[in-house]
Amino acid sequence: MGRTRSFDEAEVLGRAAKSFLATGFEGTSLDDLVRSTGLHRGSLYQAFGSKRGLFVAALRARSVPAEPGDPGREEPGPGRGEPAVLDLLLVATLELAPRDTEVRSIVGEWLADRPDAAVVLGTRLLDRAGLGAATPAPAPVIAT
Amino acid sequence: MNTVTVSDTTLRVEPRGLDKIWSFTRCLDIPLDHVRGATFDPGANAEPKGIRRPGLAVPGKWAGTFVHDGERSFWNVSTPGDTVVITLAGERFEQLVLTVADPRALVDRINAAVV
Repeated sequence: MGRTRSFDEAEVLGRAAKSFLATGFEGTSLDDLVRSTGLHRGSLYQAFGSKRGLFVAALRARSVPAEPGDPGREEPGPGRGEPAVLDLLLVATLELAPRDTEVRSIVGEWLADRPDAAVVLGTRLLDRAGLGAATPAPAPVIAT
Repeated sequence: MNTVTVSDTTLRVEPRGLDKIWSFTRCLDIPLDHVRGATFDPGANAEPKGIRRPGLAVPGKWAGTFVHDGERSFWNVSTPGDTVVITLAGERFEQLVLTVADPRALVDRINAAVV
């Protein structure tokens, strides 16, 4: 792999994860990742091999930095997890797991550790869309 | 344009038509265990290519061997938007930057073969 790395891998993975959360795996270009991580394209390729390699490293690290006011700061509770990490698992499950055996097995290992995984992921998916139980449903408009 | 085929053990890259001449390359055979991964990366066309040795560089078209920051890459790109970057280990080239007909499908095929 040639030159030694001169960057904080955890920080780079966190920033890359935020890009993947904002625009999805396919929707995030290498140009986006170059901008968000601050690394050169050549350094990203040298360190991670591919965009997929970077995503897999970020998924394994499962650490997404939270910002003030971010829903990532929300307290974990029943049926909840750290939302940003759950979002990364959702992106992995939706976009990559169907065609990528390694991503499937990473998500599978996470699922195996939690008997309530399906509820946690489903709850997060609905919360994210503003359709969760925590979010009051808009009052139905009834024509009179 | 390039024809890229993935077999059980090998990644084969064949520049098409006259690109064989511009790139000074008829065919590259890379063992799959030397392939690190592939990325659909249209933006790569805009990157600095480095020094050409040997090859062709005209606006919008790069074919041949280029050395940038001490790293040797093989380029054969013409159509922006259909570019794939394949990273290698233990090979003459650190990476291959190629225009291909169906970039997303090729990237998935390569990554599935090398995982």
